[in-house]
Amino acid sequence: MAGYRPSYLTVFLTFARNSLVRDMSFRTNFILQCISTISWTVMNIGFYLIVFQYTDSIGKETGWGRNEFFVFLATTWIINSLVQTFFMPNAQQFSELIRSGNLDFALLKPIDTQFVISFPRVDWAALSNLFMGITLLCYSMYQLTTRESDPLVLDWRVLLMYPFYIVCGTIIMYSVMITLASTSVWLGRNQTLYNFWFYITNFSRYPMEIYKVGWGMALWVFFTFIIPVLLVVNIPARIMARPLSTMNSQMWQLAGFAILATLACLVLSRRVFVRALKSYRSASS
Amino acid sequence: MPMALIELHNLQKTYRVYHKKEGLRASIKGLFKRTYKEVQAVKGIDLQVEQGEFVAFLGPNGAGKTTTLKLLSGVIHPTSGTATVMGHTPWHRENDYRRRFALVMGQKNQLWWDLPAQESFRLHQQIYGIEPEAFQQTHDELTDLLGLRDLLSQPVRELSLGERMKMELTAALLHNPEVLFLDEPTIGLDVVAQHNIQQFLKYYQEKRKITILLTSHYMKDVAALCKRVVIIANGQIQYDGSLSGIIDETTNRKLVTLQFADPISDSLLSSLQRFGTLVHLEEPRVTLGVTRDDVPAMLTSILDAHDIDDLIVEEPPLEEVIAEVFARVAETSSTQRDEDGVA
Repeated sequence: MAGYRPSYLTVFLTFARNSLVRDMSFRTNFILQCISTISWTVMNIGFYLIVFQYTDSIGKETGWGRNEFFVFLATTWIINSLVQTFFMPNAQQFSELIRSGNLDFALLKPIDTQFVISFPRVDWAALSNLFMGITLLCYSMYQLTTRESDPLVLDWRVLLMYPFYIVCGTIIMYSVMITLASTSVWLGRNQTLYNFWFYITNFSRYPMEIYKVGWGMALWVFFTFIIPVLLVVNIPARIMARPLSTMNSQMWQLAGFAILATLACLVLSRRVFVRALKSYRSASS
Repeated sequence: MPMALIELHNLQKTYRVYHKKEGLRASIKGLFKRTYKEVQAVKGIDLQVEQGEFVAFLGPNGAGKTTTLKLLSGVIHPTSGTATVMGHTPWHRENDYRRRFALVMGQKNQLWWDLPAQESFRLHQQIYGIEPEAFQQTHDELTDLLGLRDLLSQPVRELSLGERMKMELTAALLHNPEVLFLDEPTIGLDVVAQHNIQQFLKYYQEKRKITILLTSHYMKDVAALCKRVVIIANGQIQYDGSLSGIIDETTNRKLVTLQFADPISDSLLSSLQRFGTLVHLEEPRVTLGVTRDDVPAMLTSILDAHDIDDLIVEEPPLEEVIAEVFARVAETSSTQRDEDGVA
C-alpha cells in the first residue's frame, strides 16, 4: 500500500520537535542546563589558559601550540556536544527501558528498532556546547591564519575532511555508547554509562602524541586500535590545526584507518544490539 | 484445513532466574557463585483463534497469560514451539506483521509523559505511515467514542489513570490493527471508567470485526465482552470454551434465595439446611447453595409449606467459580510436585 514505508527523516524531525516542546515546557530547567554547560566550557578554557602560562606547547615539537590546541579543544567540544545532544540521553534511556521492560513498545513499532531507540530524545540544551565549540574554532583558526610568522593556509580539502571526520568521530562514540547500553540486557542493569563516557572522553581529549612515551604506548595502541576513541578528536583536529603538507605517512594511515574503524564500530555495535534484542526478556507487568 | 488466524503449537517459555538467598552473607556469596533456577512461565500451549473472535485469558497471577501475549507480540522469543499470527511468526518482528496488530498493557505506558497525547498520536501516524485522511478519520472516531476531545492538548502526566488508558487505547488503534492484544486494560480503574472501556471495546470489536485477545482479572470485563474463555494456570491451558461452560463444568450448585413472609424460625432454618449449605442469612431472606438436581424438589416442598414473598434461583458468581478452578489447579500442581519429588 502507498505510504507504508515510514520516512525516517520525518520521524526524526518529530522526535526533535517533541523534545524541544518538552524541554521548553520546563523552561527554568532548560536555561539552567544551558548555563551549566556553558560555564563548564568557560572553566575548561580557563584551565588550559593557565596551562599555557607554563608552556608553549603540549609536548616538545609536537606542533600543538596554544592556538593549535584550542582548535583541538573546540573539536572535542563539537563532537561531545553532538553526542550529548543526540545520543547520550537515548543510550541512558535505552538502559532504563530494558530494566523496566518498557522496551516492549519499541519492539512493536514497524520501524527499525535501533533507530527508534537511538533518536527519540534530543537534549537541546547540550547543543549550547556546539556553539561554544564553533566559536572557539573560528577564533583559533583566525589566530592561526593571521599570525605573523608562518600563517596557516586553509586548504579547501580540509574544509571537506574536517566535517567528514567529525561525523566519523561522532559515529564511533555513538557505537561505543549503544554497545555499552545494550549490555544491560544481559546485566540487568548497567549504570556505568556516564562513568565510562567520562573515562574514555578523558583519554580522547588530548593529542595522541602525549601517549607515545614509555608505557603510554600501551594506552595509545589500546585506544587507537581496540577502542578507537583516540582517533575521534585527533584526526579532525590534526587536519584542521596544522598544514596538510606536514602530515606524515603514519598520520595519513591513521586517517585512513579511522574510516575503517568507523565502519567496523558501526557494524559491530549493530550486531551487539541485534543480539541484545534477541535476548530481551521483558520485565513483568 | 485452512489455518486459523492465530495458531499456537506447544509454545513454551522458560526463564532462567538468579536464585538469590536472603541475607548479606548469601549476597556476597552470590557475587562469586550464582545458583539459577528455571522458571517455566509457559509450558506448552496449543491454541487456535479464528478471525473476529474476542477471547479472554483468565488465570491467577504468574499463570503465563502476559507471557503468552508477549510471545504473540514478538516482544520475547519462546524457548520452543511455534506460533503464527496472520501467517507471521511474531518474534521475527517483521514490519509487515507489526503494522497489523497492537498491544496495550494496563501497567505500562507508551505515550510521551510530558507531552499532550496528540503529539504521540502524530508520531504514530508517521511511524506507521498512515495516510493523513485515514488518520484524521480514525483519530476523530476514536476520540469521540472515548470522549477524549477536550483532553488532547493536556500533557499525559496530568491525565487521570482512566483517561490515560483511553489515550493508550486510541494510540494503539490509530493504525487500524486487525489483531489486538489487551493485557489488563482496566486494571486499577474505577467502575465508570471500566464500564466505558468495556462498552468501547465491545462496540469497536463488533464494528470492525477485529480479533481480540484479552487478559483481565475483572470478571465483569470478561462477562461483558468475551464469548470464549481460556483459563491458563500453571503455564498450561486448563479450560477452553464458553463462559457458561465453566460454570456447568466446575460447579453443579445453584444459589437459591428465598424471602419468607414470616420470620425464619430456628427449626425452619435447620430444615432448610437439609437441602443445601447456608450461604447468607438476612431475615427474612436466606440464600442457600443447592445441588442443581435437588432444586426442583426443594422448591416444591418449601412452597407447599410456607408463604414465600420472593424467590431467586441463580448461578453462583463467576468470581467464585473461577476461584474454585484456580484452587483446583493449584492443588493438582502441588500434588504433582510432591510426586515429582518422590520420583
